[in-house]
Amino acid sequence: MQPFALNYARPAVELEARTPYAYDSGLQLNVLSDGRVAAGDLALLRELGTTTSTAGSKTHFDD
Amino acid sequence: MTVLILTCEEDVTADMVVVHLNASGVPVVRLDPADLPGGVALSGEYVHGAFRGHLQSAGRLVSISGLRSIWMRRPGPAATRAPEPSDWLTEESGQALYGMLRGSDARWMNHPDAARRARHKPWQLRVAQGCGLPVPATLITTFPQAAREFAERYPDLVVKPVSGAHPQDPPRAVPTSRVAPDTDFTAVAFGPTLLQRRVAKRADIRLTVVGERLLAARKATPEDADPDQVDVRFASPDVPWQATEVPPRVAAAVGAYMRRAELAYGAFDFAEDADGTWWFLECNQSGQFGFVEVETGQPISRTVAEWLAHGGPEPRSHVNGSSTTVC
Repeated sequence: MQPFALNYARPAVELEARTPYAYDSGLQLNVLSDGRVAAGDLALLRELGTTTSTAGSKTHFDD
Repeated sequence: MTVLILTCEEDVTADMVVVHLNASGVPVVRLDPADLPGGVALSGEYVHGAFRGHLQSAGRLVSISGLRSIWMRRPGPAATRAPEPSDWLTEESGQALYGMLRGSDARWMNHPDAARRARHKPWQLRVAQGCGLPVPATLITTFPQAAREFAERYPDLVVKPVSGAHPQDPPRAVPTSRVAPDTDFTAVAFGPTLLQRRVAKRADIRLTVVGERLLAARKATPEDADPDQVDVRFASPDVPWQATEVPPRVAAAVGAYMRRAELAYGAFDFAEDADGTWWFLECNQSGQFGFVEVETGQPISRTVAEWLAHGGPEPRSHVNGSSTTVC
């Protein structure tokens, strides 16, 4: 009784647990442990993939 | 006048825009409706023919009449992080928050009604057709026999979710996948199934539209690419996204799509075939853009910030208004 499309499902990739930054409500930005703004570190964003279209993430309904 | 951003805390893509707004000196209030009530508070009164409303979050208080724009980026469902969450409280909180915000004069990116409609992929396909964008032959059906006959007409097919949503129990992804020629379509009866002619692509295109501005990026398909690997989200990261020009006919059609859909922001996915034709796949009304900016250097976050900070007048016909067809 499994819908046809689910025959092509694969385990989702969850990214959230690996992010090395935390939200600062005062700045309204995510900051790294050394105080830098995470969005300013493009190399880090590229490495983490947290700005990508990633099928299966709970936070990425619209990819 | 303040820009209101509705999104979750971990949304680092929204951070990219906040940085630009801060640099421009534009006041910003960022909050997640999931924190209402609790971290987010609201109040509004309708007295003597007037409305006065306020939102509060992280020590910031903003008047709803003082909002210049509202960015519906990736908000959580209302009240889901409240001290005692419930479906009833989510409905109450969502009605209170969005009901008040809908009465403001702020510009939306995107308006909730337009956003909800724009998420329907079957509707997207019809709008794209109406606006002159090439759409691959597509079937959405629960009839196994219809799927078999479609596969006879178009032997090279892909399957993908109708909604774009992903199963969460357990968490799984359903990427766009190639359908083998001898596939058994019996299970089509157990859920609406979207089958589409596979475009033999030489590149994927991500076209990000912010207001009137079009920013396109192209990711070439390697000549030795596995033809069964059709979903760009799972493609090799070795091939970078690169900025590219938008063909004038596509630009005109996309502009018509945005007006028809009443969207201020949209992330279009196309497959470019060997002739250079851009085949419409979908338009994500809140699609990611950070990865494109990181790789191409295109100023997408700055453009979003500029739209939120300035922009033109707010169109007033959201979804059920009088001017809904412009294609």
